[in-house]
This record gives sequence, structure tokens and C-alpha cells, in this order.
Amino acid sequence: MRAYPARVAVLAFVAALTASWIVRGQTAANHSLVVLENLGLPAIDEGVLQDDSHAPNTAEAIRRRALGAALAAQRTGHQTARYAPGRVIVKFRDAVSTTGRLTVLSTASRTASLRTRPSYADFDIVSIDPGEDAEAVARTLRARPDVEYAQPAYRMHTQLKPNDPLYAELQWNLPLIDLESAWDIQTQAGSAVTVAILDSGVAYQNATITTTIPAFHDEDGRPYPALGQVTIPYAAATQLVSPGRFVAPHDFIWDTTTPLDFDGHGTHISGTVGQLTNDNIGTAGVAFNVKLMPVKVIGGVWDDLFGSPNQGTDDLVARGIRYAADNGAQVINMSIGRTGPANCTTNSNADGCAPAVEAAIRYAVSKGSFVVIAAGNSFEDGNPTEVVAEIAARVPGAVSVAAVDRRATGQTGGHRCLGTAAQPDCHAYYSNTGSWVELSAPGGSERGFGRDGFVWQQAFNFNFTDTFLLPPSQYRAPRFDVFAYIGAIGTSMAAPHVSGVAAMLIQQGITSPAAVEAALEKFAVDLGDSGRDNTYGFGLIDARNALRGLGLAR
Amino acid sequence: MTPNARTLVLVFAALALVAPASAQDPLEDPLYDDPPAISLRPFFLASGQNFTAKETFKAAFGRTVEPFWGGGAQVAFRNGLFVDVTVSRFKASGERAFRFEGQNFGLGIPLTVTETPVEASGGYRFHSSPRLVPYVGAGIGSYSYEEASDFSNDDENIKTRHTGYLVTGGAEFRLGRWLGLTADVQYTRVPGILGDGGISKEADEHDLGGLAARFRAIVGR
Repeated sequence: MRAYPARVAVLAFVAALTASWIVRGQTAANHSLVVLENLGLPAIDEGVLQDDSHAPNTAEAIRRRALGAALAAQRTGHQTARYAPGRVIVKFRDAVSTTGRLTVLSTASRTASLRTRPSYADFDIVSIDPGEDAEAVARTLRARPDVEYAQPAYRMHTQLKPNDPLYAELQWNLPLIDLESAWDIQTQAGSAVTVAILDSGVAYQNATITTTIPAFHDEDGRPYPALGQVTIPYAAATQLVSPGRFVAPHDFIWDTTTPLDFDGHGTHISGTVGQLTNDNIGTAGVAFNVKLMPVKVIGGVWDDLFGSPNQGTDDLVARGIRYAADNGAQVINMSIGRTGPANCTTNSNADGCAPAVEAAIRYAVSKGSFVVIAAGNSFEDGNPTEVVAEIAARVPGAVSVAAVDRRATGQTGGHRCLGTAAQPDCHAYYSNTGSWVELSAPGGSERGFGRDGFVWQQAFNFNFTDTFLLPPSQYRAPRFDVFAYIGAIGTSMAAPHVSGVAAMLIQQGITSPAAVEAALEKFAVDLGDSGRDNTYGFGLIDARNALRGLGLAR
Repeated sequence: MTPNARTLVLVFAALALVAPASAQDPLEDPLYDDPPAISLRPFFLASGQNFTAKETFKAAFGRTVEPFWGGGAQVAFRNGLFVDVTVSRFKASGERAFRFEGQNFGLGIPLTVTETPVEASGGYRFHSSPRLVPYVGAGIGSYSYEEASDFSNDDENIKTRHTGYLVTGGAEFRLGRWLGLTADVQYTRVPGILGDGGISKEADEHDLGGLAARFRAIVGR
């Protein structure tokens, strides 16, 4: 790992000088993170990161997930990894008075109290004792006739299968969905459309961050030292930022308007949707002129270590969806999700379902937002139901997206991935299957292709951000100003292909979310069994054909 | 209806109003002329067709009525029978579209459609008045259809020809010994071109025909 001591020294000096003169500083209320916006040196771009230490299911990837869970438990003191303890999301029926609501709550829990309703929510948050079983409380509440739904604040997670390792050289995924022809049809590439990235934030501006990093124990109980107060350089991703590109950013994890990405996932996703293109630098994006709305609803390991007040749970995601819809997002990309029971289709109020998120998705679609949701990466882990993706299947105007790997050939290849010797399966090994799968897009796979099978976009050089993966003796503060082209795989990577093409479709004239979904499905390249199937849905999206639409007779 | 067609309709309407007042003994009418046994009468045609595939045409062109221009010849027999051969053409530019649940979304991609009907019909002319000659007829046509749009490969454009059927009814207004104007309504049915793909399939519309208001300037006795 290389260091940039001179840059750090300059940043520390600048930060000290401006300690009492905050340009547009935001301090998350009652928390230790100080973000000095637009203060910092430009990003360092290190090019393609020829490093595959973040391949799926490598020790690093597994540790990153485990560490996140361990940190969450350490922060809350509870091993309730599935949901945030101490609260329940409740939607009362409209006619129920405040007194009535309090009465209802008292029947469910002695400790229940109604919090002030958060912004961008049509539901209430009920505080309960963190030791109480939130699922049991929710169950009691939703048995009441005055309650529309009640659920714990289930944790969401990104759908990334991260990996570390330019268009002609690396991006097999974009020609696969016939984007070159689509760009011929629509040279503006989505310039009038806003895509909200509900994710871990986006590296969309320069900043200098001051925070205190406490000691922690990793998932194996190894102690990591406190780093004390640190100044962290932060820079905008060079291949994402252009004038006027970012609109209405919001951070629900820190309750601020600066949704900085401390993970890299959201920045990578944003790159697939709209990486700056045709500029002789780096990689291309699908709808490379779209406006991007970063909405941070998922925290990473550093958000935990920096002491973020919130974590990525159903209520935050629901609020994020509503925020995006209310602020003009025409497409909402959700490369996030969680697993749950299989019966939410018949009873969306059952244990483990996500009624708050479903209500938010329906609200967003009713406001004209097309919602794209990753189908999940747990196929080899028992292929559980992805409850958020599964919502998409019952909401016209929302789609769930499975992943294909490089074996797919798209419209012109004639390869239908039938699972035969002549036409082998091209289902990405991790991609969940199920009745909720509606579309497929390139998610990549290292199996059989190595790094050539990844989806490449600009993101942080993980060697400078994921220092928590180092042994305690080498552990140090991260820096978020060193970028590289990172290969990643997952349905997280598949979903933004669909979001980008949807943005182009909307710009082309298909303005209704349900019609966007219908167009994407109609013009998809049918893979696997004829018609819709549980592996590929309606098939692999085809940007050119969707954009071209129909003539009178053909 | 196009301005030209509208003007023609007005002219014929005026003629229709005048004709009954002039209805008198044919032998006393200066326009009366004992018709020849066989008369070959060339004509020029202008028509406006309201296509049966309304949703399809609305999606691509924003309207369902399109003008046809053409010409042909009529062989008229003294006994009232006649045979018409007509060649006409319509060409319109619109845009490709997407149709979902009855709603059309224009996509701004230029599309041009050209239809060239070659029609043969036969019928009967009623010599009830020297000025006004009603007629009815029916026939068959060969309908050439071409559809081309931007950003299409050659195999995605269409050039085809199918057979269709027609019935017609109207009247000829004699303006002089050698000149008449006809106004009629023609219904055509042209299966086999629409309905297997494109917007027409989405709209479940299979007929390229329609109801046309036709106007002809016809030369001959």
C-alpha cells in the first residue's frame, strides 16, 4: 500500500487553518463527524487496480461483511444482526387519534413510546427497550385493527460481490446490452433524467473530514487501537463529476445533506449508471449524461467506526425512496436488499416482510419514479427470498434484476443460455432465482473468466480505504481521495445497467414507470426457458431495441 | 382531413345541392349525351382514408386519416357496367413508438410508411340523371407496403405486398360532355400486413384498410 504523506500533511494544515472558519461545514447532529465541504485536494486516479484480493468469498470479502456485523453488535450491545434493536416501524390507520395510538402501543410493550415522525415517512417509529423482541412487538401491533402494518427496522445490505481489478479492454458488459447502438439513437444519454442512487453515498465532492475513531474488536475479538482524532482527505470521483450533475443529495445515515460514500459501493454503482464517457479516460457508463441524486441509506464499516447515528434499515430505506421520489428522481436504483420469508406476496405484513419499504416503492411509482432493485446474491447460500426485490414483482413500475455472466451473448449472439452443452447456462452463480426475478443484466462472475468477468467502474482504491482488513499493527485511518478502476460482481452491478437504460427510455419518451418496465421486458433477449422464467426473468435487457421501440408492423 | 380534400368536399356538396334543381328531362339537358357502347375514361384521384388500424396510426402519426394521390382508368359500358383500375399512393412520416395499456409513447425516431395500392374493381352506374350518376362497385387490390425507420438494419425495414378487398359507392357529377367529378366512399380490407408485429400487434389491429372518401376528376363520356 502506498502512502501520500505530503498530501496528508497539506490537508492537515489546511484543516487546522480552517478549524474556526468552516466553509460549509456540516456536523452530523450530536456526532463526531465534521465534513468541510469543497475543501480538499483533487482525487488521485491510480488507473486499473490490478489486485484481486477482494474476490467474492475471499477472506477479505468475508471479513468485511463479518466486521460490519460485529461493529453493529458492538455499537448496540445486541446481537440482533437482522434488525436494529430498540424500535419498530408502525403505520397506524388514518382515523386513529394520537391518544388511540398511545393506547395501542401500551398493549404491545410497556416501554413503547412514539417518536416524532421522521421526514419522508408515512409511518411512525416506536421506541422500545433495546432488549425487547422487536419482531414480537411488531406482531402484537399488527394484530390490532387500528394498525395497517408494523415491522422491525430490518437491516438492509448492499448486493455487492466486491472485487478489485476501460471500455474496449474491460467493459464486456456494455456491448452485451447493445449500448453502442443505443447511444447512436440517443446521443444525449439521459441528460434530462435524474437517477437516485439509494446506496452507501457517492464520492461526489471534495471534502476534509475530521472525526474521532474509537478502538474496536473485530469479528474474531482482536482489538484494534483507537486512532483518536484524525483528518481524512476526501475527493470526488474524477469520472463522475461534471457541472450540475448532482442534485438534491441527502444522507439518512448521518442526517445531513452530504451523503459521502465511505464504502465505495455507491460510487461504483453510480459509475455504471453514469460514468463520464467518451472523454478518453477510464471506463464508460450506461446513461453517461444523467443527473445523479445520491441518497445515502446504507452505511459501511467506516460509517460504523465514525459513529453514524443510523444504520441501513427498512425505515431509512423507505424514507430514502420517498425522498428521492419527492425530489424528482425519475429512476431509483436500489442495489440493496435483504432476505426474508417467502410468504410476503400473500401477506406483506408477515414476520420479516417489508411493508414500509413496499409502501414507499408504491408511493415512488405513483409519483412517476421507476424503481430498480437488485435480485440478491445468495443463490449458493440456499437461495432465500429477497424481500425487497420480491416487492418489485408485484408493483408495475418496479423491477428486480438478476445477474448474467460473460457467457451471455446478447441480441446478436443468439445464445439463449439454455443450459445445454451447445448453449451453456449464463446465470451468474450467485444471482438469486425466484418468481420475483423480472429482468437480467450483466452482473459478472470471476468463475471461468477471472478478472475479465468483472464489472469495472471507478471507485475508491480499496487499499487506502479498507485498512480495517489489515492486522491491528498496520491498521490506520482511511483516505478517500485515491481512486482506481475496480472490478466488482453482483446483482448490485446488474441493477444499475437497468437504471441507466431506464433513464434513456424515459428521455426517449416513455414516461410512465409501468410502461418503462413493460418496454424493458418486451425487448429483453429471452434467455433460458421460453418466456419469463425464475432465473433470467424476461431475459437480458437490450438497450438498443428498447429505445427503438416499435414501428407499425415490426 | 387535409385542406385539399376539404375543398373538394365543398365543391361536391355544392354540386349535389345544385343537381336536383337541374333534374329535368334528360333529353332536354344540354349535358345529356347518349353514351357510347364502350368508353375509356382516365381519371385523377385524391382521397383521404381513415384507417381501420386507428390506434396503430395514432401512435406513429398522431392521426388516423392519411391522404392518397393517384390515378387510373375506367372502362364504362353503355349498359351501366364499368371496370376501374386505380393506382394510388400514400407516404407519411411519423415516429416509432411504444404502446402500453392503451397509452402510446412516441419515441422520436423517424419512421416513414409508403403504401401503394393497385386496385381493380367493377360495378354498375345508374344513369338516372344526365348530371348525377350514382354507382356502386367492388373489387380486389394488391397493396404494397413499405416501412423504414432510422437506426434500422435492412432486415428490420419492411417491403411487402398483400391482397385486399374493396367495396365502393358514390356518384359522378357531370360537369360537361367530357368531364366529370366523382365522389365516393370506399371501404378496403387489407389483411396480412399489420398485426404480426410492431404497434399493430400490441393494439391487436390486423387491417391496413379503412374507409376512404375519394374524389376523382374523370375525363371521357
